[in-house]
Amino acid sequence: MLLEISHLTKSFGSFTAVDDLSFSVKEGEVYGFLGQNGAGKSTTIRMILSLIRPTKGSINIFGMSIEKEREKILQQVGAVVEKPDLYRYMTGYENLNVFARLSNKSISKAEVMKCLELVGLDKRAKDPVRVYSQGMKQRLGIAVALVHNPSLIILDEPTNGLDPQGIADIRNLILMLSKEQGKTLLVSSHLLSEMEQVADSMVIINKGKKLVEGRVNKLLNPDKVQLEIITDKNAMVKSLLGNSRWSEGLRNAPDQKVLVDTTADAVPLLAKYLVEHNIGISSLRSMNSLEAYFLSLTSGNEVE
Amino acid sequence: MRLSSIVYIELYKIFRKPRTYIAFGAIAAIVGLIQLGFYADGESYMKFGMQSLSDSFDVNGNIMNGYLMAFIILQTLLVHVPLLIALVAGDMISGEANQGTLRLLLTKPVSRAYLITGKFIASSIYTIVLLLWMAVWALGISIMIFGADDMLILKSDMVTQVLSSDVTWRYVAAFGFAALAMLTVSALSFFLSLFAENSIGPIMATMSIIIVFTILNTLDLPIFNMVKPYLFTSHMLGWKGFFDVTVNESNEQIIGSIENLPAVLLSAGVLFLHIIGFLFASILVFKRKDILS
Repeated sequence: MLLEISHLTKSFGSFTAVDDLSFSVKEGEVYGFLGQNGAGKSTTIRMILSLIRPTKGSINIFGMSIEKEREKILQQVGAVVEKPDLYRYMTGYENLNVFARLSNKSISKAEVMKCLELVGLDKRAKDPVRVYSQGMKQRLGIAVALVHNPSLIILDEPTNGLDPQGIADIRNLILMLSKEQGKTLLVSSHLLSEMEQVADSMVIINKGKKLVEGRVNKLLNPDKVQLEIITDKNAMVKSLLGNSRWSEGLRNAPDQKVLVDTTADAVPLLAKYLVEHNIGISSLRSMNSLEAYFLSLTSGNEVE
Repeated sequence: MRLSSIVYIELYKIFRKPRTYIAFGAIAAIVGLIQLGFYADGESYMKFGMQSLSDSFDVNGNIMNGYLMAFIILQTLLVHVPLLIALVAGDMISGEANQGTLRLLLTKPVSRAYLITGKFIASSIYTIVLLLWMAVWALGISIMIFGADDMLILKSDMVTQVLSSDVTWRYVAAFGFAALAMLTVSALSFFLSLFAENSIGPIMATMSIIIVFTILNTLDLPIFNMVKPYLFTSHMLGWKGFFDVTVNESNEQIIGSIENLPAVLLSAGVLFLHIIGFLFASILVFKRKDILS
């Protein structure tokens, strides 16, 4: 394992931001670190990078403890924590050069420029950062993380505040770093649809606690779907399904809709069952994406 | 990572920031104005100051010279320069926290102790450069404008004459001492900047401490007299000691003499201890600090 987190806990007074969290990241994979805003993702990442001290637990990277071998580990780690704030009075090139010098490696001007080219900022290298758009700052932040050619890259909400094109650019960059350069990436996000497209494995946390961890293809079992049904008689539908083969999959939901977990091949049967009982179906939506899975977990209804 | 590399990077950041040059501009403007004022009305000012002496002494030569100007300017500016120093030193950590760059800096393989020491050295170099700038204006340009001659220093109960041949080294020492005093302010401001997330707090706190301590120094009350020797502000004007000369039996100045060298050295020692104390406290606090900005 390249990164191993074991029973990590961080408390601020009586508030526990991260609660007994454990997960591990394998070499070469893109690891999604998912959770709603305030779930404890950034606090965990800050502990991984030794920006804050854990209350309990341990973090091992490359087989070494971050507490004991901080500088040695960080030589091989590149990170952007939350929004990438940079020196506004410096140009993009100057910013990158400053952070390159701090990486304890000999990095040439050509390598700095190559890194800017990688994130598509080579033509704006001489512009001061204060005139950069949010997307450009984000890309420069990623360049800061990449400039010393690290093995492990940690990106905290890298698509925050970006337009669709910017999000696509970051997604392509993550895939390129993983597939072409063999980097290991830990990417946190609350944009689950984005993570679904890039992550090999993931952990989902809520209120500082781990809800689920595993390979994305297993967690996103295409055979399992969640149906969102809107009818003219929702209460009756809930009652009908509660006394049918779908009773176990029935979820708590507001009055306006019915939520039920089932298998993909059972969807037509369920629709037929409702029609046969004179239910007028206004909408029947099947969700099998990570988004639905995540929502089901964080709404308090854990699934197996 | 070598400490010199961190110092270089930090100096680069300091001198790329526009606010750094406010202090240089302010010193040039204030000194220039004082020089202009004395150039225009200095003679009448000196006549007024020498009124009580003219009955007893026959004073010849260029009294209103560059050396005296430098003394007046140094006395005036050492009250204001702490603010200009706090402007940069108080921003060293809090400014980075405010911008959000502190967390990015600490994701790099730099030891926290090295980073804080590098920043401290860089802010100290800025302070020394600022003092050198002040020396160029206060002494160099004053000599160019007003010329050089023996220096007369008027005090409430006496007049001190320092021969022009014996003044230069005294100014070198005085500016060196002033640098030590300003480094103490810089170290205090730097230490305070660890606890804030914008630079206004440390700047205001530094100035407040200096003002409170200075008020304590001026109050001649037994309860405060006990603590005065330990306040760094009590020692900041120790540079004046370099201009207190001793005289021989014929009442002639002894070249190279300092009237109370132990007092000057004691003041320098107290200031130095404060600087070391603030640096070590800064390292200790920063090493344990959670970076939440």
